[in-house]
Amino acid sequence: MNAMTKTELRELSYAEAIREAMDIALASDERVVLMGEDIGVYGGAFQVTGDLVEKYGTDRVMDTPISELGGAGVAVGAALTGLKPIFEFQFSDFAALAMEQIVNQAAKVRYMLGGSVSVPLVMRFPAGSGTGAAAQHSQSIEAWLGHVPGLKVLQPSTPEDAKGMLLAALEDPDPVMIFEHKILYKMKGHVPEGYYTTPIGKAAIRRPGKDLTIVATSMMVHKAMAAAETLAAEGIDAEVIDLRTVRPMDRETVLASVRKTGRLVCVYEGVKTLGVGAEVSAMVAESDAFDFLDAPIVRLGGAECPIPYNPELEKAVVPQVPDILDAARNLAKGRI
Amino acid sequence: MPVEVIMPKVDMDMAKGKIVTWYASEGDFVTKGAPLFDIETDKAAMEIEAPDSGILHHPAPEGTDVPIGKPVAWLYAEGEAVGAPPASYGAEPAAASPAPAPVSEPEPARAEAVAPAPRGDVALSDKQRATPRARALAREAGLDLDGIPGTGPRGRVQAEDVQALLDRAPAFAAPVAFSAETGPLSVTRTKGGTGTPVVLIHGFASDATSWAPLEAQLKHRPIIRIELPGHGKSPKLRIANFAALVKDVRRAFDDLNLEQVHLVGHSLGGALALAIADTRERSIASLTLIAPAGLGPEVNGDALSGICRANRPESLGPWLRRLVADETIITDSYVRLAMAGRADPNLRAAQSALAEVLFPDGVQAFDLRAALERIAVPTRILWGKQDDIIPWHHALRAPGRAALHLFGGVGHMPQIECADEVGQLIKAYI
Repeated sequence: MNAMTKTELRELSYAEAIREAMDIALASDERVVLMGEDIGVYGGAFQVTGDLVEKYGTDRVMDTPISELGGAGVAVGAALTGLKPIFEFQFSDFAALAMEQIVNQAAKVRYMLGGSVSVPLVMRFPAGSGTGAAAQHSQSIEAWLGHVPGLKVLQPSTPEDAKGMLLAALEDPDPVMIFEHKILYKMKGHVPEGYYTTPIGKAAIRRPGKDLTIVATSMMVHKAMAAAETLAAEGIDAEVIDLRTVRPMDRETVLASVRKTGRLVCVYEGVKTLGVGAEVSAMVAESDAFDFLDAPIVRLGGAECPIPYNPELEKAVVPQVPDILDAARNLAKGRI
Repeated sequence: MPVEVIMPKVDMDMAKGKIVTWYASEGDFVTKGAPLFDIETDKAAMEIEAPDSGILHHPAPEGTDVPIGKPVAWLYAEGEAVGAPPASYGAEPAAASPAPAPVSEPEPARAEAVAPAPRGDVALSDKQRATPRARALAREAGLDLDGIPGTGPRGRVQAEDVQALLDRAPAFAAPVAFSAETGPLSVTRTKGGTGTPVVLIHGFASDATSWAPLEAQLKHRPIIRIELPGHGKSPKLRIANFAALVKDVRRAFDDLNLEQVHLVGHSLGGALALAIADTRERSIASLTLIAPAGLGPEVNGDALSGICRANRPESLGPWLRRLVADETIITDSYVRLAMAGRADPNLRAAQSALAEVLFPDGVQAFDLRAALERIAVPTRILWGKQDDIIPWHHALRAPGRAALHLFGGVGHMPQIECADEVGQLIKAYI
């Protein structure tokens, strides 16, 4: 009884939850290795790996040279030859340096060799804006990788999912890309103890509602939830869906919600044009849920520009709670 | 984005309307709801109100024929950039000029004709705007989107608009009790026309809009329509008997304060016109009674109560079709519009109560033959020989002084079924 209560109340930060998942994986499966720049003694650019090197040693927690292409290549090769690497980028933006290994090798080898090999690789990407790290360290590039068949792309928004999705990714025989929002690393939340997985490709309804559907990803889930609380006080009952997986996308959950509410707002931090919300919108427009739409679909995405360094401008170029409120009010009141 | 002023559909088989008069000019600020322009269709003339407030630009020239649903002008916000005027009003750019353009036509002018600024929405306005959900709801309910008023942006029909129409048909018949109102009867008039006015009194379960086809014939005179208690926009008065009804309608007539009028009444309105003529004879230049009540006991009580009871298009349609000889003129969309006009259960209850007083047990409880004998004003009686509501042979009880016109192949609604002929006859008098 006592232990159970303790389990239910246990809170960890998002970063701690990821570390716990890696700890469990390292302890239970000797094929699991961590790779990345400064993930050893330094503990990782965002202190996510922490002291794991002390527990598992430098054979299992490996610092790689300052070459994302080289490190990623080693990780892909290791995955092809029997290990289960978890490769950490310091910033998701640096994926640009490793695109050859991610897109042309990891995603395609299984296809090109007729399924005779697989690449059980997990890559972790600290992503998103809000840290004052400017244009080259603040992007949300999940749509880049979401465009590549052969990859799975996850965006956990809670500590519980961060742990569960990482463990699910390790069970997957193919490359899984996990985008972790940097602002979320310090966010605390309930995290179950021990081993569990959060299913890939399954969205979560964070708040049921009947008047409109807000499909959000990552950090935007929390902004959508804050907006939904304000809207509830105004008599607008918003359903908030945490997409959780960008590829493969959870079609059924989104369509069922739109069939119920008839109104859809997509909120995502990546650049609006050709982003995750574009795919969600198209998915709805192409489906039978189209017939249930009672207003145009609204997308709230990042501005068509690099993330600025100035803190005020940095806030202004990604959707904020007031933007979601405006869109939701206009939709619910039939103004758009 | 400017607000489009579109050519409205004001009667059921209207395809286009002619702009007759603008009440505002290019650059004038107009207020939502104020009279903006008059239109004329094959059948009727009507005043159209401004759909919104704004500055009027590019009004279609007076005399232009514009298809329904096409813009006739645009209302801009103050300071809003004004787009180029359209090359034509209502002509479809692609369809209108399929032939090779004259060689001499300058290229820029053609480009402008295809896409001037405010015309971005023109193609859209061909169709009723509606959300997918509204379309799906309408499809399931067998409703036509045409005629469903849209409350969304730019008149878009949304689910709640369709739902409102569906909800207005309660599951059970109108209650007999109704909450009575007070106040003067609704009196509306056309603008324009000179000389002795024509006063129109509609029949039971109808309203002023039923005169539209006939009004087109009479537009050279001022036209005034009186709506009966519990009908159209008139208050739902509690009426004790026929005499009380006469009193209310006569008060509305007296309030017009006109020296001379041509009085036209249909069915119950015919009986009321006759009663008014009997006591206001000096004011009546001529009296036209179309299938009037009050000349005999028979009346189709089933049809009257059926219409009162109907609370959805499916139950109203069969009775409306009994009113006319050629059932095909009562289309499904006509029935739905008629039902929408009768959506208020209190209105139906008020009419049921009135029917109960005037036509107890399906019998006309009032007799105006003596009045018809008494009056000396020029009188004509018009009747359809296939009238299934009041038998046309009641007309044979009229004195020889009254002219009698019988229409073959016409039912209880000559003013709609053969509006042209009825109009010609009335015109001959006025």
